[in-house]
Order: sequence, then C-alpha cells, then structure tokens
Amino acid sequence: MNEQVLYRQYMETVFNYFRHFIELSREEFDAISPYFEIRKFDKRTKVLKIGETDNYFNIIMKGIARKYLMVKKKEVTIQLSTEGHMIHSELSFNLQQPSDCIIETIEPVTFLSMSYDNIQLIYQKFPKTEKLGRMIITEMFIKKDQRDFKQLNRTTRERFLEYMQNHPDMLQRVPQKYLASYLNIKPETFSRLKHLLRLRKTVPAKDN
Amino acid sequence: MQNLYEYINRFTNVTEQEFEQISRMLETVHCEKKHILTHRGQVEKYLYIIRKGLVRKFFYKNKEEMITQLAKEDDLVCSSVSFLSQQPSEYIVETLEPCSLLAISYDNLQRLYATGYHMERMGRLITLDWLLQKEAWEHERLQHDPRERFIRFMNENGDFVQRVQQKYLASYLNMKPETFSRYKHLLRN
Repeated sequence: MNEQVLYRQYMETVFNYFRHFIELSREEFDAISPYFEIRKFDKRTKVLKIGETDNYFNIIMKGIARKYLMVKKKEVTIQLSTEGHMIHSELSFNLQQPSDCIIETIEPVTFLSMSYDNIQLIYQKFPKTEKLGRMIITEMFIKKDQRDFKQLNRTTRERFLEYMQNHPDMLQRVPQKYLASYLNIKPETFSRLKHLLRLRKTVPAKDN
Repeated sequence: MQNLYEYINRFTNVTEQEFEQISRMLETVHCEKKHILTHRGQVEKYLYIIRKGLVRKFFYKNKEEMITQLAKEDDLVCSSVSFLSQQPSEYIVETLEPCSLLAISYDNLQRLYATGYHMERMGRLITLDWLLQKEAWEHERLQHDPRERFIRFMNENGDFVQRVQQKYLASYLNMKPETFSRYKHLLRN
C-alpha cells in the first residue's frame, strides 16, 4: 500500500480514538494532525535508552514494542504493546528527566508520535485538548492499576490464562521470555503452563 | 485552607475566584478511626484530601489484606479506579486514625471541569501526577529488594513507624511482618 494511503489510515484511527473521549470535528482534528510525525524502527531497536530524556509520546500503528527496567543486570518487562496502544516513558516524558527504563521494538514498528514540545503547544493552541489529555491519562491510569491489581491478586496460572485469552496472537509474536517477564512468571513455569492452552481448545468455551 | 491552595498551585495557578469556586464544591468530613469510607463493590463517589489523619486502601487476596496505599496529611486518597471509571470498587478505603477530610464528589468535579479549560487543565495535571506516582512506585518496587525498599521508605516516611501498625507497613511494602521486624535494626544505624 502506498505511504499516503497508509498515513490517512493511521490518522483516521487516531481521529476515531480521540472521538471516544471528546466531541471533535474533522476540521478541529485537521488542525491538530500536522503536529504528529511518523517514526519507523527496525525490529530489536532501542527507541529510548536509560539516561535519555524521552521526547516522544507514541501510538503504535504497526508492530510490537516493549518497555523494560534493568534490575541487577536482569531485564524486567513492564509493558508489552501492540497496534493501537500507547508507549512512552511516562516519568521521563512528562517530567522531562532522564529515563530509568528502555523502550525496544520486538517487530519492525511504525509509531505515530508527537513530541513533548508539540503536545504543550497543542494544549495552548487548542484548549479543547485539555479534556482529551485528561481522559487519555485517566484511561492509562485505570489500565495500569488493573495490571498492578492482577499481579497482586491473581495466581500465576490465572494471570497466564487470562492474558493468553485476551491476547491470543502474542505467543506467536513475542519471545516467551518477554511474556514470562511481563506476567511475572518464571520461564520454566511459563513453558509448563503452555499445556493449558492445548487443553482449552478441546473444551467448549463458556458463555462468560 | 492554605494547604489545598498550595496543592492546587503546584499544578496550575488558580485565581482567587476559581479557588472560591473549588472551595464551594468541597464537603468537610470528620470520622473516627477504623471507619470505612468505601466498601468493596460500592462505586467511589468521593475524592478525599486528608487535612488530618491517616487512611489506608487495601483489598483482600483470599483472606489476606493487601495494602496498596497509605495516605497522610495533604495526600489524596480514594478508590481511584472506581472514582475515575464510576465502576464498583475492588478496594476498601478505611481510616486508621480519626480523620478530618475534604471531599469532592464525582458530580461536582465534573461540574468544575465543565466551567472551563483552566479547570480541565488542573484536572489533567492532577490526574497525571497520580499516574506518575503510580509509575514511580512500580519502578521502586521492581528495582529495589525488600531491604532497600524498607530503608528508602523509612527515610522518606519516618513518622509512619509511630503512626501505623507494623503489619500494615509490611503489607504496603509487600513483605512478611517477620521480615519487617528483622529490618528494624537498620533504622538505628
């Protein structure tokens, strides 16, 4: 598909996403859209390194990226994101301070990104986006809290099954060690739990 | 209400008139210790600012209480996801000391946002601050082992040792009460 068509498609996705949160006319969105930029990265590329200040808020249009911390030389994956998700270092981006985490692509990735300066400019020029910003931050907060809650409240097995049911394609797309780290499950345990998926397929799905 | 004025001005400069408007929407709540502000399954109606006292937020994992927030003077507290989404709360919010609180209802907060972009901005920046605190706490928990977590927390919140039961502090730091007791000698050095 040619680039122009793809770009229009991406913009349409974002337009519809924004309209979940606020009333926004086509003209209003057209005034905002030039502030976005398309950024492409190969697979296994570090988009943000430790110590760098994160300058971009990214929405993934294509591909998968992850965010991780280095804890005593071990990688701990704290976010796995695919098409339609947002990824950035919340702390580094918003406070404009050096990042303590790394953002790395897993597949080749296309981001629709907005720089920190442009976002501030947009809040100034289009005050309506204050509400949009608040709603997006609220959604991020809710998702994060729900993930924390599940990490504490669910058993390893429950976390595994719930995630695999909600994200059936990830097992093909993401190396197991990243999935295991994200779900806070030991790699050996993760391998063992995989047999549950095969069992599932033979059992009729329940209506809930 | 000097504290509240200072709190809000950390995020955005409000005029005297705007602050008046905010103040009119606040309710004062006094309650005893061990008072449950929000029950599990209830939709959180209020966001509280603590003027005096201590509040904890927790949930039950099987029969074990898991504390996810300990809030003191000038902190915001509520069952935040329930408040923001207006869905039933998974958490319980309970006072640990007699409390004097300022409360704003969900409906009043929406009315406040509707008065103009400036109030929206305040809302955006306060919600962002919540999100960043959550993020920072997640990194803190993952990057430091229990011993480091204990020392770092106690350096920042020394007064909690006197005010909060040890089992609650241990739960908040996600460690066993025995481990917590063992670490206490670290404070004397």
